[in-house]
Amino acid sequence: MAKSVLVIGGGPAGLAAARTLGKLGIHTILIEKEQKLGGRPILEDYHTLIPRKMTPQQVIGPFIDEVQNLPTVDVKLGTELESCEGEAPNFKVRLSNGEEHEVGAIVVATGFQHFDARRKGELGYGIYPDVITNLELEQMFSREGKLYRPSNGEVPKRVAFVFCVGSRDRQLGVTNVHCCRYGCALSGLQGSEIREKYPDVDVFCYYMDVRTYGTWEYPFYWAPQEKYGVRYVRGRIAEITYNPADGRLRVKHEDTIVQRPAEVPMDLVVLVLGMEPSEGTKKVAKILGLAQDPDSQFLVPSEESGSNIISNRPGIFIAGACKGPIDIESSLAEGEAAGAEAATFIGAKVSA
Amino acid sequence: MAIHERSLVEPERILRKERLVIDGVDVSGDWNLIILPRTIEDYDLSFYDEVIAQPEGKTIVNCYQCSYCTASCPVHNYWDERYNPRHFIYLARLGLIDELQKRADVMWRCVSCHKCTHRCPKGVLVEEVLKAILRVMAKRGLIEEYPSKKFDKFFMDTVYEYGRIEDGELLFGWIEKQGYKVVKDPILKKPIPFMGGVPEWLKQLAAKPIKNMNIGFLLLNAKHMLFHPRTKNWNRFKQVLRKVMEEEGVFTH
Repeated sequence: MAKSVLVIGGGPAGLAAARTLGKLGIHTILIEKEQKLGGRPILEDYHTLIPRKMTPQQVIGPFIDEVQNLPTVDVKLGTELESCEGEAPNFKVRLSNGEEHEVGAIVVATGFQHFDARRKGELGYGIYPDVITNLELEQMFSREGKLYRPSNGEVPKRVAFVFCVGSRDRQLGVTNVHCCRYGCALSGLQGSEIREKYPDVDVFCYYMDVRTYGTWEYPFYWAPQEKYGVRYVRGRIAEITYNPADGRLRVKHEDTIVQRPAEVPMDLVVLVLGMEPSEGTKKVAKILGLAQDPDSQFLVPSEESGSNIISNRPGIFIAGACKGPIDIESSLAEGEAAGAEAATFIGAKVSA
Repeated sequence: MAIHERSLVEPERILRKERLVIDGVDVSGDWNLIILPRTIEDYDLSFYDEVIAQPEGKTIVNCYQCSYCTASCPVHNYWDERYNPRHFIYLARLGLIDELQKRADVMWRCVSCHKCTHRCPKGVLVEEVLKAILRVMAKRGLIEEYPSKKFDKFFMDTVYEYGRIEDGELLFGWIEKQGYKVVKDPILKKPIPFMGGVPEWLKQLAAKPIKNMNIGFLLLNAKHMLFHPRTKNWNRFKQVLRKVMEEEGVFTH
């Protein structure tokens, strides 16, 4: 019986799984498509992570360091899964670098990708420079440390957050019906950050409903309103236009509380992007024969198990955003759980 | 040009011009009618800043539009659905002045039962916040002052003048102030009860107690109405009062 475990994906969930396995003394192969570990938050320079309000370096950095320094973990960057044969606990996997390995269990942590806002043409992303995504706003903060309008470099007077872009939307087909789960909270945080640093900038959040679930209610919904003066307007933005007379954008919507149409001037519009399964997730699902949601294509846990890290195939465990939108701390926790579960599956014993 | 369903368009949005010239082209005649859009074109955020600047207005920031207040509000439930504290807060926050003005006629109707404030899950002092909104509106001339304040002022004026109130004087003076015609006797220029334009409801209201009143009390009232009594040494006290009121900035005479 093979005593190695393959972890697919070097993001938060994959790193957490590899770290747990490595620390248990189990030989672990961690493969990552990109040339760098850390997943989306590190690769795309997120500024602050919800819900702990820490930087990606603070949260994921220690995991990367530990995984790289564990002698039991074999990190292979720029490597993908090519094929997999056999059943648990004897999977024969072939990697894109030509290597072949025999592993007893597999942890899938292939993650998500951001929605491409160009698909919502009416929102003008890619047409008007002052329409940006919340990812670009994060990068504005983290890479340049300032808030500005891409069109003229000036500090905007008004910033609008457009919720649910690429989420809860049947117009895009059945693939984007789910809620992105992080968007309301991140917008509350970004809005607060803007108001804290630029008190003269008015921030508007255009929402259908605010889904800062659980303990996120106060820090990411109440505090932005009560402490930072972020304004919430109920109405989904249906169109964004540009007025050449004053060089400002107009956000077109119905204010569903006042029940009147509105076209209000804004200087910077931030689209809150939905989450989709990454290409890697879809590819790995095909190779490993994992069950996918017929609509969103996210991986779905086994129908027989109440735990959401158990996949439909014995010996394969799924963790993180490959199963649907998730936050970093839960992703890390799922990775750790999947790592421990894989360890018990291959029969590893903790020596006294 | 005719509007076929005029009932669907608020009259204030219909703009009709006898002569209309657009970009130098005379379009008078068929094209002289414009329906203005319902679109909200901007917010007046300074309104909200002014509300927050008032001590009573601070908690407006807490509101998350759950409408616990409006559901509890007796004025909304039993009188007029347009009286909606939750909605007033929303409009004030975005500074949608025209929408607030549309409701100006009902906005003073709070009966101060404070159910809204006691029940609000977010700690908004709803009743106080509404007063702050109304004060900003009054300051900007968007709403008339609280109607009962007019009576308060009339009441104060009477006290200031005579050092006491006299029921008949107050009643008929107030009726006259409301624009009703009051018939007065030619010599003393005092109002004659039940003559002139006294509203019917008031006649009915006054008739019953007068019927049952002690004749001596009635005569006393009539005497006071004719020869207005003053409090002893009131003129000297009035000067002191005036000085105090001037110092406190409430003197309005």
